Amino acid sequence: MFRILVCVKAIPNTTEVSFDADGKLQRSSAELQWNVADLAALEAALTLRTPESTVTVLTMGPQKLEMPLKELLARGADEAILITDKSLAGSDTYATARVLAAAVEKLGGFDLILCGKQSLDGDTGQIPGMLAAALNMTCITNTENLAVSNQQCALDRILEKGIQKLTLDLPCVVSVQPYAYTLRLPGIMAMRKAREKTVLMLNTQDLDLSPETCGQSGSLTKVVKIHPMRHGHRNGPKEADLAVGTARILTLLKEVK
Amino acid sequence: MISQNALHHAEKCRFCFMCRHLCPVQLQTGREINTPRAKGLVLSMVSKGAEAYDQAMAQTMYECLLCDACVNDCATGYQPPIYIREARTEAVVNDIAPAEVMALIENIEATGNIYGMEKPSFAQNGEEILVYLGEVASCKEEGMVKSFLQLLQKAGVSAKVLENEPASGAMLGDLMGYVDEVVQQAKACTAAINQTGLKTVVVLDSYDVQIMKQKYPEWGCEIQADVITATAYIAQLLESGKLQVANVNRGLAACHDDDRLARTFYEFAPIRAIAKAAGFEVTEMFNKERLAKSCGSAVALAYMPKIVTQIAAGRWEDLMRTEAKIMVTANPQAYLCLSQAIPEGYQLVDAYTALLSNLK
Ligand code: SF4
Ligand code: SF4
Repeated sequence: MFRILVCVKAIPNTTEVSFDADGKLQRSSAELQWNVADLAALEAALTLRTPESTVTVLTMGPQKLEMPLKELLARGADEAILITDKSLAGSDTYATARVLAAAVEKLGGFDLILCGKQSLDGDTGQIPGMLAAALNMTCITNTENLAVSNQQCALDRILEKGIQKLTLDLPCVVSVQPYAYTLRLPGIMAMRKAREKTVLMLNTQDLDLSPETCGQSGSLTKVVKIHPMRHGHRNGPKEADLAVGTARILTLLKEVK
Repeated sequence: MISQNALHHAEKCRFCFMCRHLCPVQLQTGREINTPRAKGLVLSMVSKGAEAYDQAMAQTMYECLLCDACVNDCATGYQPPIYIREARTEAVVNDIAPAEVMALIENIEATGNIYGMEKPSFAQNGEEILVYLGEVASCKEEGMVKSFLQLLQKAGVSAKVLENEPASGAMLGDLMGYVDEVVQQAKACTAAINQTGLKTVVVLDSYDVQIMKQKYPEWGCEIQADVITATAYIAQLLESGKLQVANVNRGLAACHDDDRLARTFYEFAPIRAIAKAAGFEVTEMFNKERLAKSCGSAVALAYMPKIVTQIAAGRWEDLMRTEAKIMVTANPQAYLCLSQAIPEGYQLVDAYTALLSNLK
């Protein structure tokens, strides 16, 4: 069986985020939605699937992701796995990649691991590379037009000034462009079947991870403070006179190279 | 499994009450639960786990024509039909959709149309354009179909009509929301259209035009032809002089703006041009153009005939507020619904038949 894994992340609805008194993002109360690039990665996996392959979705997050994971089962994934544990809260990309890598090993390995190019909240794009490093695999980022044959994956890698056509040996980790694929709609029968399916729940114990390697204590980066942006305010005096204001705007525009 | 996007639309209503006064279903039934904002509230409660989604709630979600009047006027820009469609999907998945709705879905599965009947064939083998009739016109409005095809013939347009015209997905999409089953219908329809190799598709029913132009591209269904509404095409034939009309006066009439055409494509002029060419002096109802009040849809008429007949009567009341005694429509679904409630002394006119009878 050819096994494809898709790593997906639930991110806060970007128009709904709030911050606590320390300026830290409040994830628990936020409405969550799947990161758009990860859904593209799932569609890429479903496009590659044959009767001899399976598609598994894997995520790390709160227990409330069980139903949203079932939605991905309805969209076509064969199985869904949720790593959920309070000690994982506050994980940076390094700690997250280690947990995902532990899960990949626990689950017996995969032939192809797909991720979205980057998440809309953290926006780092680091997970694919870090996950590949933890698993000692090749990683190619920012891709589209994936095809698999003879234990190899052919793809287009989107670069700033062109498209690189590559063929990689499997297993490997590949990150997918957000708009390269649109995730298919679920069917009524598929939705009914998905509700019957079980989402496999894993915690840090299942993955043999010690608490100090997880969450904030296992993270190499610390978010000290997030400053919410003030909209509609800029430094500088307000100008009541239209002509003076217009002249100032024109001067400012000319300064922008 | 209502999506976050749908919940966003359901929960952000600021209770301005505007849509309450516009929803044709609420206006006729007078029930608060029939307002779009009430439907949003219900779904919001369900998503928070405060209420279980039951048959009564599902019934409410079907008491909507998906006419977009609420979208057109929602002060906050929210689109109730997005969550209403998803709520219908939930109802079907959970087996709590009304029995009448399930019967129509079964009809589609068995015969490809909501009526569960063998669709009459209007097949012809022209080479210039493809005419897509749609299931309502084919099954219920034979007169309109024949007049339309004759108009094309009189204009010298060589039109093809498919022998087994596949469903566009519009009906199924209204009944169960936009799910894979609808996408599969869309794919089959796209393939059938593309196979003809014709570069213009003239679509008689605005419900089909809407799904072809709005949803097909999202689903990767690329029709390799220009998709044009039947009204716009006939208006072009009139303008180009390919259809010449006699100079008669058939009295004062008002045109019913079909809601999907008016609100999705802002298409109001062609129906008026056709009515004028047919010899009518055109007056306007208050609820016109983008503000047009729906008179019902064929699919809603099939599962809630009583309410849709009331809604159609409501549209006739709009006409009664004018001097006109004649209502003109070019949409097969509107014709079907309006014909359920024609008041005494009033007349419903199919624009194509009227135009045909006024050709030189
Ligand atoms: S789409 Fe039309 S019928 Fe449905 S809630 Fe909105 S206004 Fe009412
Ligand atoms: S118009 Fe929009 S904001 Fe106003 S009550 Fe209706 S849904 Fe709510």
